Amino acid sequence: MPYHEFECSKCIPERKKHAVTKGLCEDLTSALPLGYLNTIPGSISERGCAYCGAKHVIGTPMKDVIHISHGPVGCTYDTWQTKRYISDNDNFQLKYTYATDMKEKNVVFGAEKMLKQNIIEAFRAFPKIKRMTIYQTCASALIGDDINAVAAEVMDEMPDVDIFVCNSPGFKGPSQSGGHHTINIAWIKDKVGQVEPEITSDYVINYVGEYNIQGDQEVMMDYFKRMGIQVLSTFTGNGSYDDLRAMHRAHLNVLECARSAEYICNELRVKYGIPRLDIDGFGFEPLSASLKKIGLFFGIGDRAQKIIDEETAKWKPELDWYKERLKGKKVCLWPGGSKLWHWAHVIHAEMGVEVVSVYTKFGHQGDMEKGIARCEGGALAIDDPNELEGVEAMLKLKPDVIFTGKRPGEVAKKIRVPYLNAHAYHNGPWKGYEGWVRFARDIYNAIYSPIHKLALVDISKDDIRTDKGFVTQRMLSDTNLSEEALSSADLRQYTGKYDSLADLRKKVYPSFERQPVEAEV
Amino acid sequence: MDEVIMDEIMKDRIGQLVDYIMKNCLWQFHSRTWDRERQNEGILTKTMQLLCEEPVECETAFDRCYWVDAVCMADAFKSRYPWLKGMDKAEIRLIMQGLKERMDYLTIKGSLNLELTDQHY
Repeated sequence: MPYHEFECSKCIPERKKHAVTKGLCEDLTSALPLGYLNTIPGSISERGCAYCGAKHVIGTPMKDVIHISHGPVGCTYDTWQTKRYISDNDNFQLKYTYATDMKEKNVVFGAEKMLKQNIIEAFRAFPKIKRMTIYQTCASALIGDDINAVAAEVMDEMPDVDIFVCNSPGFKGPSQSGGHHTINIAWIKDKVGQVEPEITSDYVINYVGEYNIQGDQEVMMDYFKRMGIQVLSTFTGNGSYDDLRAMHRAHLNVLECARSAEYICNELRVKYGIPRLDIDGFGFEPLSASLKKIGLFFGIGDRAQKIIDEETAKWKPELDWYKERLKGKKVCLWPGGSKLWHWAHVIHAEMGVEVVSVYTKFGHQGDMEKGIARCEGGALAIDDPNELEGVEAMLKLKPDVIFTGKRPGEVAKKIRVPYLNAHAYHNGPWKGYEGWVRFARDIYNAIYSPIHKLALVDISKDDIRTDKGFVTQRMLSDTNLSEEALSSADLRQYTGKYDSLADLRKKVYPSFERQPVEAEV
Repeated sequence: MDEVIMDEIMKDRIGQLVDYIMKNCLWQFHSRTWDRERQNEGILTKTMQLLCEEPVECETAFDRCYWVDAVCMADAFKSRYPWLKGMDKAEIRLIMQGLKERMDYLTIKGSLNLELTDQHY
């Protein structure tokens, strides 16, 4: 096994099995790090906890819901707004966060009474909102408060409200991934099957594992609507609580982030016989193949092909403008989980960058299998890295840019490595054809920003010349470009709007005729 | 000697198909052994039938789901690997059998993923 031992982690020998280098002759049977294990003491992990994974990754993107944490205020406040999962109802779920604010006296005497008061107060404060999710935290789990019983009592007293309880305290699992699992299973067990939806199309899907980061879901919804597909629910970005109670009536589960949401798809398959189709919404070719597959499943492949042709013709020349300028740039692809494999191959194939390292904070070995399979030989793959390992890898690999979260991102900036926020994006959405160009533009702006050179100047002692040293991104990016690329009449920079969602929200879609229903004999 | 060369050619071609699947597909990486067995069998069998222009069963929603992955993969194989055109059906069956064995090895039998044998999702 081609394990990679970090100098900084020699004092934690267990770490050695969590990093491998994918040699040119290696395959998955010889190069795979350990994964989804408890973080080793002494290693300062970048992971989140199982409460955060349940609430802030999966629960909170639901848009028409009061999301309340039963615990100390820090649990909810310090994890609030860590991701930009927007919604089309004025971002209700992002604007507010709620906690019961447990204190020492509650730990001693219990906090169920206070929880009930909080629930009622929250519903009274937002009288139009009739749905709530409650999240257990370490503190309320350890004292044994029965949140389900309190929720049932409130629902008896207030028949127009519905409450979902998620018992995923921070310590339940090695990382946030444990929380993803718990809330998936709790939702299908407690809520799916309770609402009968109105079916308006012959083609009905659940769009699963999609969290509407900066509008990703709305971009994909545009394609589905243009194909005449009814999206019964989105699990969970921009998703509605009651729509998600009707997931059992879909014909197909279209799964985007398998890391966070394969569990509910697998259970929907077992319990309701709905098949699961894994797709990639990032990148021209993978997205085109995904739309084509969904179209073929329903016998409407022509509708998918029309979208693929239109969108590719419109946006490909812009993607290629950036590709010419990004070729050969070294990237560390260091996201949390699924983007490891969503992006590993396609950023190389469609933007020309070289992925020199992949890592995952909370992914399982299955995610590493996908990531290592998709990246090129020579890449360093790291599971659950610590901060020192990240710094050591950057100093050794000298990437031109890294894609990661904001905590390791800030560390990267300190050693003059540009970073893009892989979790919440910079100028997203990054899904869809236009979104992929926006991602390429963000990479371009990160790598070629003149700030990286200017930042090296020490204004307290260096001589600051105002008559020389002026540069722009184009001056930096076009220096070594071929004449063909420079003079191309086809290639062009991004032409989309600052807000690419506003027009989508106003768009009117064609209606498609439904097949006549055969009379039952 | 000829057999050795043929074996090498076959191995190389299977390697090309495996590389395509690994870089472009997700269906082979479901999370449990029984899932992966079902996926490999369902999708690769249907791909072989499509390449050999044989009838493909699409009765159930699960069959259709395998079939859509198979259609996209068969199209990609045909457009990327011109050597497929020169093969007769028996040769295609043979190479697809070799591909199935290799995929089973990489994703199931030889996999280092310790979660594959977990009894629950």
